[in-house]
Amino acid sequence: MNKPVKIRTTNLCFSYYNHPVLQDVTLQFVENSLTAIVGPSGVGKSTFLMTLNRLWEEIPGARMKGRVEIKFNGSFHDIYARSYSLPQLRRAVGMVFQVPNPLPMSIFKNIALPLKLAGIRDRSLISYKVEQALKKAYLWEEVKDRLTDSALKLSGGQQQRLCIARALILEPEVLLVDEPTSSLDGKAASVIEELLISLREQCTILAVSHYRDQVKRIADVVVELSNSHHQSNTYHQKPQPV
Amino acid sequence: MNRLGEKLLIAFSWISGITLVSVVFFIVGYLIFKGIRAINLKLIFGETSPLDALLLRKQVFHGLFPAMIGTFLLVVLSVGLAAPVGLASGIYLAEYAQGKVRKIVNFFFDILATIPSIVIGLTGFSLAVFLHQHYSKQIYPCLLISSLSLSFLVLPYIIRSTQVSLESLPLNTRLTALALGGTRVQNILYVLVPQSLSGILSGLILAIGRCAEDTAVIMLTGVVATAGLPRSVLAPYEALPFYIYYISSEYSSPEELLTGYGASIILLIICMTLFLFAFIVKRRIIWQTFYHL
Repeated sequence: MNKPVKIRTTNLCFSYYNHPVLQDVTLQFVENSLTAIVGPSGVGKSTFLMTLNRLWEEIPGARMKGRVEIKFNGSFHDIYARSYSLPQLRRAVGMVFQVPNPLPMSIFKNIALPLKLAGIRDRSLISYKVEQALKKAYLWEEVKDRLTDSALKLSGGQQQRLCIARALILEPEVLLVDEPTSSLDGKAASVIEELLISLREQCTILAVSHYRDQVKRIADVVVELSNSHHQSNTYHQKPQPV
Repeated sequence: MNRLGEKLLIAFSWISGITLVSVVFFIVGYLIFKGIRAINLKLIFGETSPLDALLLRKQVFHGLFPAMIGTFLLVVLSVGLAAPVGLASGIYLAEYAQGKVRKIVNFFFDILATIPSIVIGLTGFSLAVFLHQHYSKQIYPCLLISSLSLSFLVLPYIIRSTQVSLESLPLNTRLTALALGGTRVQNILYVLVPQSLSGILSGLILAIGRCAEDTAVIMLTGVVATAGLPRSVLAPYEALPFYIYYISSEYSSPEELLTGYGASIILLIICMTLFLFAFIVKRRIIWQTFYHL
């Protein structure tokens, strides 16, 4: 694999209320690939994702040390640099949560929310982008006739695809996905898997997953976070066997 | 807990619920039973024709119209003054205040919430006296002073309901807009506050009810038995709870007492109308922010 590196973390340490979660994590992730992050529960997989869009800063009691750099426009940026704009970072690094989290508003408004937050007001542009995002997330055909319905009326799998569409509408370069199928049945899960594989061409995807066979199906690279007895983690970055 | 205890608890809950509902039915039913006969146009408009009164062409004597308008204005002004301040304070406490500052501010709002209304009325009265002596001889206890005092009385309800409903939003909801590139203020305005509207509304309804029923504060700060319609916010005014209070303590005939029941029903109707209005506004805001294309 000769693809260029997109994200690199250096000596990342993380703790909640002085309870260490991650220690000395140094990793690299290559562009336009799907990396699966695996490991036992409580090892800090979700936390690791949140260090890449700085979302942990909203969680009380969390502390982090170390360096995270992401390549935007051809050069690496330290995303924790004081001058770095947080909203801009989170627009470029999208996130999909473990449990689908549509807001109790219409399907359309849900998808259009990031545009509203980014200050885009052009209505025709918004409608166009909403349609594109829904198509990318394989949801357009199912919802095009009921965009003004509440997003909460959708099924679990549809809600998760809605959340992916919402994360995609700003065309992020990195997509963080936290166990996207854990609350879904097999059929809905396989749609999401297929979707993630297809999205690899547009962005760098980091997906936390519990399921070995799912990892085998979708991942280009697997990173394992594990807890040793001395509270230090070991990492293997290995190419995925076919 | 053993099975018997559980059963007793369930029984107790049922009895409490049923008691509460029946008390409400009893009070409202009794009021209607006693007062419905008193309700007619004459009770409201006295000898004046309703059209003339509504168009403010003629004064209403011996009718409740001025007191209804007085109460209505009082509630709207007080809640209008208290709502923005209460909302902003609630948002500050839930979303921004931290550590010591938060504890201290919380403590002060708790104190404010426990001040008896008569003390707040007395403070308002002192304010009027002070302004009269040092600022302008034109200032007496009036509608504005009453509204200001009442707004302090209901401020804690609005602050607490806003704060609590914001704080009870799950972390999942709080993170959604932030993860999509929203700023903190955007998150509050577009997601958190609209999501907490139901809780905020219940605080507003409490505030409306409290402003409509209070007699202690307004007795000291500007309400009078007969004033006609208030000419301005700096004029004395009539109000329904005060009318009910003095009719019930000083009535000279059964007919007069009956008007007190009538006034109570009208007060109830005014409160209901304001609740309904608040509810419709909430529905409207939710539809506008969450569903309107």
